[in-house]
Amino acid sequence: MRWKTGILTVGIVGVVGLLAAMGTSYVGDRYAGEKHLAGPPATPELVARGAYLARLGDCAACHSIPGKPPYSGGLRMVTPIGAIYTTNITPDPTYGIGRFSLADFDRALRFGVANGHTLYPAMPFTSFYNTTPEDVAALYAYFQQGVPAAVVSNRPSDIPFPLSMRWPLTYWRWLFAPKPTPFQPLAAADAEVARGAYFVEGLGHCGECHTPRAVTMQLKATTPKDGSAYLSGAVIESYFAPSLRNGGTGTLGDWSVEELAQFLKSGASSKGIAFGSMSDVIIHSTQYMSDADALAAATYLKSIRNDDAGKAGPFLYDPAVHTALKNGDASKPGALAYLDNCAACHRPDGLGYERVFPRLAGNGVVQAGDPISLISIILNGASTPRTKGAPAQFAMPSFATRLSDQDVTDLVNFIRSSWGNHASSTTARDVARVRKATRPNG
Amino acid sequence: MVKVPSIDRRTLLLGAAPMATAVISGLAGCSPRSGDAAPAYSPTFFSADEWAFVRTAVSRLIPSEGPGPGGIEAGVPEFIDRQMEMPYGHGAYFYMAGPFLTDVPPTLGYQLRYNPREIYRLGIAAANDEARKAQGKTFAELPADAQDGFLQGMEKNAIQFATVPAPVFFSQLLANTKEGYFADPLYGGNRGMAAWKWIGFPGARADFTDWIDQAGRAYPYGPVAISGARG
Amino acid sequence: MAERRKRVDAVIIGYGWAGAIMAKTLTDAGLSVVALERGPARDTSPDFEYPRIVDELKYGVRGDLWQPLAKETVTVRHGVNDVAAPYRKYGSFVLGNGVGGAGVHWNGQLWRASPEDLRLRSHIEERYGKSAIPHDMTIQDYPVTFEELEPHFDHFEKVCAVSGIAGNLRGAIRPGGNPFEGPRSDEFPTPPLPPIEVARLFERATAELGYKAFPVPSANSSIPYTNPYGVRLGPCNLCGFCERFGCFLYSKASPQTSILPILVDRPNLEVRTGAYVTKILRDSSGKIATGALYIDDSGAEVEQPADLVILSAFQMHNVRLLLLSGIGTPYDPATSEGLVGKNYAYQMVAQTAAYFSEDVEINPFIGAGAAGQRTIDEFNSDHFDHSGLGFIGGSQIYAGATGGRPIDQMMLPPDVPHWGAGWKAGIRKHYRHSAPLGTMGTVMSYRDRYLSLDPTYKDAHGLPLLRITFDWHDNEYKMAAYSASKMEEIVRVMKPEKHATILMRPGMPYDVRIYQSTHTTGGAIIGSNPTNSVINRYSQSWDVSNLFICGASAFPQNIGYNPTGLLAALAYFSAAKIGDSYLKSPGPLVPA
Repeated sequence: MRWKTGILTVGIVGVVGLLAAMGTSYVGDRYAGEKHLAGPPATPELVARGAYLARLGDCAACHSIPGKPPYSGGLRMVTPIGAIYTTNITPDPTYGIGRFSLADFDRALRFGVANGHTLYPAMPFTSFYNTTPEDVAALYAYFQQGVPAAVVSNRPSDIPFPLSMRWPLTYWRWLFAPKPTPFQPLAAADAEVARGAYFVEGLGHCGECHTPRAVTMQLKATTPKDGSAYLSGAVIESYFAPSLRNGGTGTLGDWSVEELAQFLKSGASSKGIAFGSMSDVIIHSTQYMSDADALAAATYLKSIRNDDAGKAGPFLYDPAVHTALKNGDASKPGALAYLDNCAACHRPDGLGYERVFPRLAGNGVVQAGDPISLISIILNGASTPRTKGAPAQFAMPSFATRLSDQDVTDLVNFIRSSWGNHASSTTARDVARVRKATRPNG
Repeated sequence: MVKVPSIDRRTLLLGAAPMATAVISGLAGCSPRSGDAAPAYSPTFFSADEWAFVRTAVSRLIPSEGPGPGGIEAGVPEFIDRQMEMPYGHGAYFYMAGPFLTDVPPTLGYQLRYNPREIYRLGIAAANDEARKAQGKTFAELPADAQDGFLQGMEKNAIQFATVPAPVFFSQLLANTKEGYFADPLYGGNRGMAAWKWIGFPGARADFTDWIDQAGRAYPYGPVAISGARG
Repeated sequence: MAERRKRVDAVIIGYGWAGAIMAKTLTDAGLSVVALERGPARDTSPDFEYPRIVDELKYGVRGDLWQPLAKETVTVRHGVNDVAAPYRKYGSFVLGNGVGGAGVHWNGQLWRASPEDLRLRSHIEERYGKSAIPHDMTIQDYPVTFEELEPHFDHFEKVCAVSGIAGNLRGAIRPGGNPFEGPRSDEFPTPPLPPIEVARLFERATAELGYKAFPVPSANSSIPYTNPYGVRLGPCNLCGFCERFGCFLYSKASPQTSILPILVDRPNLEVRTGAYVTKILRDSSGKIATGALYIDDSGAEVEQPADLVILSAFQMHNVRLLLLSGIGTPYDPATSEGLVGKNYAYQMVAQTAAYFSEDVEINPFIGAGAAGQRTIDEFNSDHFDHSGLGFIGGSQIYAGATGGRPIDQMMLPPDVPHWGAGWKAGIRKHYRHSAPLGTMGTVMSYRDRYLSLDPTYKDAHGLPLLRITFDWHDNEYKMAAYSASKMEEIVRVMKPEKHATILMRPGMPYDVRIYQSTHTTGGAIIGSNPTNSVINRYSQSWDVSNLFICGASAFPQNIGYNPTGLLAALAYFSAAKIGDSYLKSPGPLVPA
C-alpha cells in the first residue's frame, strides 16, 4: 500500500530529522564558547570589581530572593508553557557554579549555554554578550570568592514534557542572539560615550525591557546601529518601559545628562521618578553606579538621536487648565476627578513636587504613546525607590476601588491633554483590560 | 518554527513589589458610591420600640422642616445603630474598669459603668417610662412640641431617670446624632453628603493648594467622600 | 520567668520623637540598639494614606491613632486630699501610641523657648524681686542655657523643614519675625506659607494695635526641601486634617517623615513593636540599669539587657515607669520629700470665637496645625512688664484654626441652640464665616501639683495607673484673663458681628472633659543638683547613671509654646554628650 509506505517514509524522515536537530543542538551547545580561558588571580581588588559589576548587571534581581541566601536562585518566572526558576549561582559545588571554570562562566554569561544546554533567554545573555574578558574574570572572581556558598538546590521548571525539551532554544540562540564579541568602542567615539554604551548595551541590559521584541521574542535592536527600534520603549507586564531615545514627547528629549545621571543614582529627577520594575533596578543596581559611570551612561543615552530629533520642540507648559481650576472651573472632563484624587500631590498645576511627587506636565511616561503605565499606576499605586542618596520613600495609593473604569479613562485623558500635554486618549475598555490583568482578584 | 516561551517579567516583582505598598483601600463597599436615596434600613441593635424612639428623637434634634437636610433623611438613625455594633458601642475606646465613683465632680469626666449600648438601652427605657408616667404615651407617640419639651427636660436634668442620668443619655444621643449627620457617608449617615453641602464643607477633598494664596475667596467646589462619590 | 534576649549596647523605651533622635545618634556612634515601642509599627504608607486618613470620625473623634484608654489610662484629681477618678474617655489631652508616638498626630508647631524661660526663677527674681514668686510656686532654672541649646534648636528645625521667618538673626531684629525670640544662628529652613483668611485679618488688626505678628513656626515644609539627613519632605496644602491625623503628604514633620527613612536599613538598630515596657531593671546596687522588662504581643514577659537605657516614652509614661521601677524617691507633697513626680504642669489656653458677617469668607476647612497661622508674642513669657499685674508668665495670642472639621470644630455663637431648627439654621449661617483666635499660655509648677501612682486603678496588666493631681492656681487664672483681654481687644479690631470667649475663671476647676492641649510637662525635671531634680543637664538620671530620660517630663514648669522643640533640643544636647563623653567613660557626667 503506497500510502502506508508514504506515512512510514514521512515518519522515518521526521524522526531522523528530529534526532538530527536534537543532535545538532547537543553538539552546538557542547562546543559553544571557549574550551579553556585563563584568568587573572582573584585578588581582593578583582573580587570587589566583580561585586560592583554584579551590581551593574543586577544579577541579584533574578538570582536572589527574600528569605534565601544571596544568589541562591529560586525566583519564579512565568512563561506561557510553565514557570521556570532561577538557578543557584553561589560557589556551591553541588547546586551552584562552584565547579564552573572561567570558560564555563563565560559560556553561560555571554553565550547563554550552561551545563550543556542553552539557557532560557530570561537570562539576558543577549545583552551580556559584549562583556570584556577582564570584566568576565572579575565577575567570575566575585561569584567564586566573594559570595558565600549556599547549599540550596535548584528547582526544576514546571514546564511539562515535551515542552520542557531545551533543544529548540539552541536554534533560537543561533538565529537571534547577538554574536558574543567583547565590546569594542567605535574608533571615533568619545571615551565617555563608549563607556556608557558598554554599560547600557551590555551589563545594564536596559534593552531587555526598553526595546520592543519581535513575535519570535528577540529584541528588535541591540545597538543604535540596528535602527530606531533600539530603546524605543516596550510593554512589560502592564507598564510601558519608556523610550530612552531623544526626540519629542515621550522620550528623554527634555532631560539633561545630569538629570539622567541623578535619576540612575537616586530614582528621581525633576523630570520624573521611577516606578514599577525600574524602582527595583534603581534600588538594587543603578544607585551603586559610580558618579562617572552614571554620567557615562547618561551621556551615551543622550547621544542616541532619532532621525527626526530636533524637529519636535521642547515641551511648552500651558497654564490654561491650572487657571481654570484655580478659578473654580472644573468643567473639563476628568478635572474634578483630578482634584479629588491627584491634585494634592501632583498639584493643580501638574508640576508635582520636585523629587517627591513627579510632575505630570511634560512627563515622558505620562505622554508616552501607550497610556498603559499611567493606567496601571492609577489603578495600583506606586512607590518611589529608597536609595542611599534619597532615603525617603514616597508611596502613591491605589485608586482602583475609588475609581471606576470610566473615571480612570476620564482622568487619564485629562492628564494627557492638560498643561501642554498632547497625548492620545484611552478608552474604558483599555482600562478594564489593565484592571483585569493587574488586579485579577479585584 | 518553535515558539520560544515568552517571559512574563511580572514575577520580577515578587521580592520587592513596589505595588505592594499600594494597599487595597479598606473601603469594603461600606457605602454606595452615589449618594442617592438609600434603601430602607433595618436596625440590628435597636428593638422596634427603641428604633421608634431614636428616629423620633433624631427628627427633633435635627428636624426635616425648613431648609437643610434633617437627621432622618441624613440617615442618622442608621449611623447610630451601626455604631452600636462597632467596638465603640461596646465601650472598647473607654477605660471601663471599676470601681465606679459616684461622687466626683463632673469636671473629672464620665465615671459611669455604662457603655454606649447600655446608655441607649437604659436611657430609652427610662425615657419611655417617664413619658408614659407624665403624659400617658411613649416618647414617639407624643406630639412634636411635647417631644421637644421632653428632650429639653432630659438635657437640663429636669426629668429624673432612675438608672442612667437623663443628661448623660441626652448628650450621648446628641453627640451621636451630630456625628451621624457630619461623618463620612461610609458610616451610614450624612447621606448624599447633604449635611456637608448644607454647610459648605468639602468633605474628604483635603487639598487646598490653589487656595493658599486666595484667602478670602469663597472655595467653590462641592464635597467628595472617602469612597470618591461626589456631592 | 522572663525570656532573656541577647544583650545590646542600648535599649530605647518609646519610639517617638525623642526615641528616634536617640536611635539616630546612638546608631551613628556604632552602638547596637533595640528600640521598644508598645504600640504598632506605623508609616505614612499604608497607615496615613489618602483617602482613608481623612476620616474625622475615626481619627478625629474616636482617636484610632491614640493610646487605647481601655488598656491604660491615667487618673485625675484636683487636690491632694481628693480621690482620683480614671480618665475614662479622651478629653483634655490625647496620648500617642505606636512608632512615631504623638509626633505623628501633633500640629507641627515647632518653637524654641525664650532665653529667659530657661532661667525663669532667677530672671523673675531679678526683675520683680523674690516676692513675685509665691511660696508654693516651685519654678526653677534649667541647668542649661539658651545659647547652649541654640545649635540643637537650629538642627531640629532643619530636620523638620520648619517654615517661618527669623525675628532675631544673630542679634539683629528682623521685620516679619518674632522680635522677642532668642538670637538665632540661622534663618528658618523654609519660608512661611501665606496667611489663611483669619490670620490675614489678624495681621491687619495687630498691626493697627502696634503688635508684631509673625507666622507660627511650622514643621510643615513649604518648598521642596532636603533635610540634613538627606530626607525630602512633601508640601503642606492646608488640608485641614492635621492634629489627630497622620499626614498623607509626607509634609508634617514626624519621626516617619524626617528621621526614620535613614534608620530603616541600619543593621545595628532593631525596632520591636508591641513591646510594653513595665520596668527598668537595675542591678543589686540599684545604681546601674541592666535593661528593660517588657510584655510582648503574645503576653510573654521578655527581658532586654542593655548597657545604656534611654527612657523616651512621653512625659506621662516616663514618670510612671520611674515610679513603677522604684527609681528615685516619689515626691510627697506633704513633706516635700522626693522628686519623682514633682512639678507637673500643663498649658493654660483660652479661645475667642469670632463670628463674621456673611461676606467674609473664612473657608474654615483650609488650615493646618501651624502653617498659615499668625501669632504675637508680646504677652508671652516675660516679654512684657508684669509690674502690678499680680501674676507671672503669659501667652502667645494666635489666629487660625487647624481645620473646619464639622463634628469637632464647628463654632457657633452662644445664642444658637444646641439642637433643633435653630441649630440647623445656625450651622449654615456661621460655618463658613467663623474663626477662632486662641491663647496658649505658661503654667507654673506648684507644691501641690504632681504625679504619683494611683492606689486603686490598674492597667490591663494589673499595674497601677499614673495619678495626676492638678488644678489651676490663681496665677494662671490671672494670666489667662489678662491674655484673653488682649485677645478680645484684637478681635474687636477685626470687627466680627459677634464674638465669644471661652476662658477658665476662678471657681472653674481643671476640666478633663474639654480638649485643651497635650502639652503635659514635668515629673522628672531637669536641674543643677540631685536635691532639685531627677535628671542633670544632660538628661542623665542622678540616681542611675546609665539611664537618660528624654521628653517634656524634664520641664520644671511649662512654657507658653508647644514643648516639642525644647524637648528635642535637650535630647540632641544629651545625645551629643553621650557620644562625646559618656560612651568613652560611662558614669555621672555632672558631679552630684
